[in-house]
Amino acid sequence: MSSISHQTLIHQFLEESARALPDKCAMVHGKERISYENLNREANRIARWLMDHGVAPGDRVALMLENCREYLSGYYGILKAGGVAVPLNPDLKPDGLAPLLSRITPRGIISSAKCERVLREIDMPALSIPALLMARPRLKWSDIPLTVGSFGEIAATGDGRNPDLPLDETSLASIIFTSGSTGQPKGVMLSHRNIVANTNSIVQYLELTSADIQMVVLPFFYVMGKSLLNTHVAVGGTVVINNTFAYPASVVQQMIDEEVTGFSGVPSTYAYLLHRSPLRSVRDRLTSLRYCSQAGGHLASHTKVDLIKALPEHTKLYVMYGATEASARLTYVEPHRLHEKIDSIGIPIPGVTMKVVGENGEELPQGETGELVAEGTNIMQGYWHDPESTAKALSAHGYHTGDLGYLDRDGYFFVVGRRDNQLKVGGHRVNPQEIEDALIDTDLIMECAVLGIEDALAGHRLVAVAVPIAGETTERDILQRCSQTLPRHKLPSEIRFVKALPKNSSGKIDRAACKKLVH
Amino acid sequence: MSEMREQVRAYIVDNFLFGDDNGLEDSTSFLESGMIDSTGILEVISYLEEQFAIKVHDDELIPENLDSVGNIVGFLGTKMAAA
Repeated sequence: MSSISHQTLIHQFLEESARALPDKCAMVHGKERISYENLNREANRIARWLMDHGVAPGDRVALMLENCREYLSGYYGILKAGGVAVPLNPDLKPDGLAPLLSRITPRGIISSAKCERVLREIDMPALSIPALLMARPRLKWSDIPLTVGSFGEIAATGDGRNPDLPLDETSLASIIFTSGSTGQPKGVMLSHRNIVANTNSIVQYLELTSADIQMVVLPFFYVMGKSLLNTHVAVGGTVVINNTFAYPASVVQQMIDEEVTGFSGVPSTYAYLLHRSPLRSVRDRLTSLRYCSQAGGHLASHTKVDLIKALPEHTKLYVMYGATEASARLTYVEPHRLHEKIDSIGIPIPGVTMKVVGENGEELPQGETGELVAEGTNIMQGYWHDPESTAKALSAHGYHTGDLGYLDRDGYFFVVGRRDNQLKVGGHRVNPQEIEDALIDTDLIMECAVLGIEDALAGHRLVAVAVPIAGETTERDILQRCSQTLPRHKLPSEIRFVKALPKNSSGKIDRAACKKLVH
Repeated sequence: MSEMREQVRAYIVDNFLFGDDNGLEDSTSFLESGMIDSTGILEVISYLEEQFAIKVHDDELIPENLDSVGNIVGFLGTKMAAA
């Protein structure tokens, strides 16, 4: 299939793959496999059920599911009905879920047995949620005044033709809540046009084709997981769902068995793959693995180098940078320049422009550090019902990423840290990322977070929360090695060892939770 | 074996279920039930290594060895027999 599509709506990617490659396997999950034709048919039936139950263009439908077949047909079904897909973390508890539902006022929820107990605790009639579509329900729902459909029955029978609703490409397609470290989560509004544009760019620079088979360990409700789905459906490739990355050996084995061509992860995914999986010993069996891609935060250059060494020689590593607000992706490092630009976030992807902006909104020259600001068709419409945050993030310049960085003379961007994450230690300005990199460079630490703990005298005191590679490592060993590269004021005053760092649902380090470990 | 089972079970109940063992069967999948997440799995591994003086190797990190009380007991049995 051609790598550049003419689709204008997200679900048309699926419709086109179902037309061109009806028997091709779209998804593998354990022993389950589904072809493009069947997936499209299921999505059409879900769409028709939603429309029959009052979902009209622009209505929100929450998707509260782990990665599974129903996620795929539910997601595309919502879009085909003209609905706005709102993916939610299936691990949310009633306290976290109820406020989100009252903010998005969905016409329906698609969920599964895993969330049944939590959903039963939500007062859905009070939130005016009329319909619920349940996959593999275990509980009885007849006592609650709302329509409950069985996902399996609805997806299996009835009219399976494309509904072909006339929708505008600028219509809202998805609201994705960001896992911000402070304040309440913000709902990023992405249109069909935003996501289609980003999908096409990613397909182009990753050179994806229908031969690609992607191992998916990231949740689809997280924007990076969602872009894995959209891009592979766009080219008629295959997604292999594996929800057991907690047991990395089983994921690596499935990559061999399914002849996976692509693997994607956030920094912690790769820390585990390197230090808690048999990757090195089985690398010769990963004969099909064409590339690995990494995004979702800064990965220490030391880890990148180790990863390149551990992966098969034919496997490329794509280091990428993005944001939910950019439908996922903004920049990438061309793999053949990775060694030379090991600390870079790369060049803008096709269709994106990026610049470095100073305090007063002026564009800064090459080499000077300011905020990274991006423009492109992929940039969000704004935050759901939050004009104040929208005005802060979007300006005439484009999307303000909140990341500080600079541009080198070859046009490569470098991130030096988060604008709101700079610490003052005894009069010095300190960037935690630099210290985290130095800790990883010791070869003693698997992953870590450097935190600024408020200190009456110094402003902040640096405390590192770290996972040692070997159990016998001491604080002294680490500080001794760090002192060879870091000035004294950048050495952590304390290193707290833990077995694992707290993570949020997309696998990123949860700094607020790390801070609680220290207090 | 049954003593080992009780020990593992008590650890899981105390540390991940806040003392409430309702619904924990020997075959209940930790991940699928949402009882334990990936961070928790590492804690379980550390516990097993310390408590039973074994070493869990990277290639042994598979659900068949670790994803339920029953699987852990079976795995411990094999490890200790080999020791």
